[in-house]
Amino acid sequence: MEILIVLEDNHGSLHRMSKEAIAGAQKMGGSVSALAIGSNAESLAAELSGTDLTEVITVNHDLVSSYNADGYAEVVKQVVETEGPKTIVAGHSYQTRDFMPRVSAKLDIPFIPDIISMDDGFVKQVLNAKLNASVTTGSGQMILSFQSAAFSEDDIVSGECAPRSFDVDLDSSVVRSQSEEPFQEAAGDVDLESADLIVSVGRGIEKEENVPLAFELAEVLGAEVSASRPVVDSGWVESFRQVGSSGQNVSPKLYFSLGISGAIQHVVGMKGSKNIIAVNKDPDAPIFELADYAVVGDLLEIVPKLIEALQTE
Amino acid sequence: MFEREVLEVDILFVGAGPASLAGAIRLRQLLRETGKDASVGVLEKAGEVGAHSLSGAIVDPRALRELFPDKNDQDFPFEAEVWEEHLYYLTGNRKIPFPFIPPSMKHHGCFVASLGKLTRWLGEACEKDGVDIFCGFAGTELLYDGDQVIGVRTGDRGIDKNGTQKPQFEPGADIHAKVVVLGEGTRGSLTKIFLQHHKLMDQRNPQVWAVGVKELWQMPSGSVQPGYVAHTMGFPLGHDVFGGAFLYGMKNDIWDLGLVVGLDYKNPGVDSQHELQRLKTHPWIHSLLKEGKMIAYGAKSLPEGGWYSIPKLTASGAMLIGDSAGFLNGQRLKGIHLAMKSGMLAAETISQALEENNFTETKLKDYEDRMKSSWIRDELWKVRNFHQGFDHGLLGGLTNAGIGLLTGGRGWGFKDRLTSKAGHLQMEKGLKIDRYQDLQFDGTYLFDKVTDVYHSATAHEEDQVPHLHVNEPDICITKCTEEYGNPCNNFCPADVYEMVPDGESQRLQINFSNCVHCKTCDIMDPYQIIDWVPPEGGDGPTWINL
Repeated sequence: MEILIVLEDNHGSLHRMSKEAIAGAQKMGGSVSALAIGSNAESLAAELSGTDLTEVITVNHDLVSSYNADGYAEVVKQVVETEGPKTIVAGHSYQTRDFMPRVSAKLDIPFIPDIISMDDGFVKQVLNAKLNASVTTGSGQMILSFQSAAFSEDDIVSGECAPRSFDVDLDSSVVRSQSEEPFQEAAGDVDLESADLIVSVGRGIEKEENVPLAFELAEVLGAEVSASRPVVDSGWVESFRQVGSSGQNVSPKLYFSLGISGAIQHVVGMKGSKNIIAVNKDPDAPIFELADYAVVGDLLEIVPKLIEALQTE
Repeated sequence: MFEREVLEVDILFVGAGPASLAGAIRLRQLLRETGKDASVGVLEKAGEVGAHSLSGAIVDPRALRELFPDKNDQDFPFEAEVWEEHLYYLTGNRKIPFPFIPPSMKHHGCFVASLGKLTRWLGEACEKDGVDIFCGFAGTELLYDGDQVIGVRTGDRGIDKNGTQKPQFEPGADIHAKVVVLGEGTRGSLTKIFLQHHKLMDQRNPQVWAVGVKELWQMPSGSVQPGYVAHTMGFPLGHDVFGGAFLYGMKNDIWDLGLVVGLDYKNPGVDSQHELQRLKTHPWIHSLLKEGKMIAYGAKSLPEGGWYSIPKLTASGAMLIGDSAGFLNGQRLKGIHLAMKSGMLAAETISQALEENNFTETKLKDYEDRMKSSWIRDELWKVRNFHQGFDHGLLGGLTNAGIGLLTGGRGWGFKDRLTSKAGHLQMEKGLKIDRYQDLQFDGTYLFDKVTDVYHSATAHEEDQVPHLHVNEPDICITKCTEEYGNPCNNFCPADVYEMVPDGESQRLQINFSNCVHCKTCDIMDPYQIIDWVPPEGGDGPTWINL
């Protein structure tokens, strides 16, 4: 086995970033296997039955029936020790950030996180995304995580693969935390970094009373809502929704920018978006230099009509 | 409730700039000579030494040579020796060389340097010498026993914007020391309180300040000669605003382009960052920079008042060094060597105080005597009335400086001491004039303020109480809007202060995470209601070579 992808369970189905990780791993070449952990391991493996992988290793154990960092780290460690993959790959999700450094420390394997592409090495953004660094390791083994949308799930090579169950040796002295049922939508549970569609709102929204407009549009589109700093600063939108150099970096398929001027501090957080639609009153707003579709106009006029049109569709 | 950690050191320097670091090194040298041991600590609010250090800079190597007698100039982290220097008067499109460069403005024998590099180098020397540098910790309070300063409290971490404790709350520590040496740099936040508490500015001229703004430009390979130096007067500031520009050739094909703007102008609309952009519209500057790329930005205030604005330097248990005390030669445009020397002199007094175990004012004032019989005094005395002359515009200032050269620094040739008033009092009501109507920011050569701020790489934890305290915010939207037109929007070189519409009226929005720690707002606010206090330790700009 050359590459092992650690899959992520997103409420019973495969996380989008895991699919992107498969596409990335296939691009690297060599034999690629995947690892599914938890009570949904079999169904995750079934989702991949039409994919060109060597196999999907499944691990189901009471102590890792749902995600916990101790357990996941230990499972990955045991699988890696037995199977000996050269490279361990995952999507750069919150979950990966939580447990993968532990794997790296347990096994003493270097971890190159948040990779955006590959050339001779692995490319990641540094210094506030001002520079790209190409990173390699001299170690025989390595762990990689790919930034959201670094690869496209459309590029997954289809084929076939079979599941194989793997027995792990876990006890509660290693897994110090106990998993409970996953619950949804706690405050701050919005995962902007893996969102496909984002409606982002800026100062052009003018006042707090207008903010629900953005949420309405997001709802009809099935999008998440993010914001630029002034809107968060004013307390109109929660701070975990902030995009930019002091917030999150996002790279959705569609970034719908409403009333955002496009200061560089914001742009570094969203310039990786695949498509950008910008609505702004000011025709000279810097956001238009970046936008794929530019609408010069007042979002307070445009957005309600857009919502109406989308609803009747 | 929580318990505060208490840490004991013998001597604590606050602020890891050239003054403190030179002082700490000198102190360790003296301890070695006397065979004593004492612990020396340095507090620094930046995440690492040098990240909040900004200067031109041209360095007079005098203090470094004294501090490291075994080293040669080549051992110091300079860019290059000054090998070509120019002084120009600029009009909007021409540059006119001054017929001669006055001796006091000659930089022959000095070195072009980055203060960030120099402080990092000094920081390493300190650590090799057993000095503990605590980075990421800001001093927020002086601790007293009666009237004796006994230490510094560092800032709490993990307080949210409403002032309540977050889960990761960590109380600041109390660092007790026999002597606290305030080397906080320009307009230090502890220094400000310390000066007031002990009335150390009594019978002094008020300090007057300037703000320097600076961009670093990466040029194509082989196009910049390190050690090239040019200073200018005239455009873009004109005759009514004190200041001038500098252009220094650094290593690796980098131009340091900066502008110093006196914080004693009359028009509340003056904006140092915008003036720097105007400077770049000059054909000469444009011809030099047009092939390059701007890579870094920063701003810092500097004390320009000179000899008569230097406070009494000591109180029981505490001393002032460097920019915190105003050791800067405005005429020579240099302060780093004076800052270092002041720290070294303070160390000599401290060494004796440790010997005698006496840390009261009666012993520590020995430092002031040492300073007055050192070359700091010789140098500053000769130019003691330099800045005051510029209250009469550029021509008045130059005339006064010229006469001063012949009369050993007398004001207008006969007055021993010219008085001055605080710079913020010079601002005139109802006089706000927009000087920047013609300025077009293109995002590649001329930058709006937020783009420049981005290149200062400043960052602050956003969920904290803003570290810019506006004590009477009502004044902003009533009196100040009417009288001065909210000059905070202009004098802040980092777009921290912004008036935004609020229904029918407007309100002041404080974008504190843009702050580059220059302290201009604390200095220049016409009502003096802004208090700059340190944000969470480690926050602020991440300057590398400024």
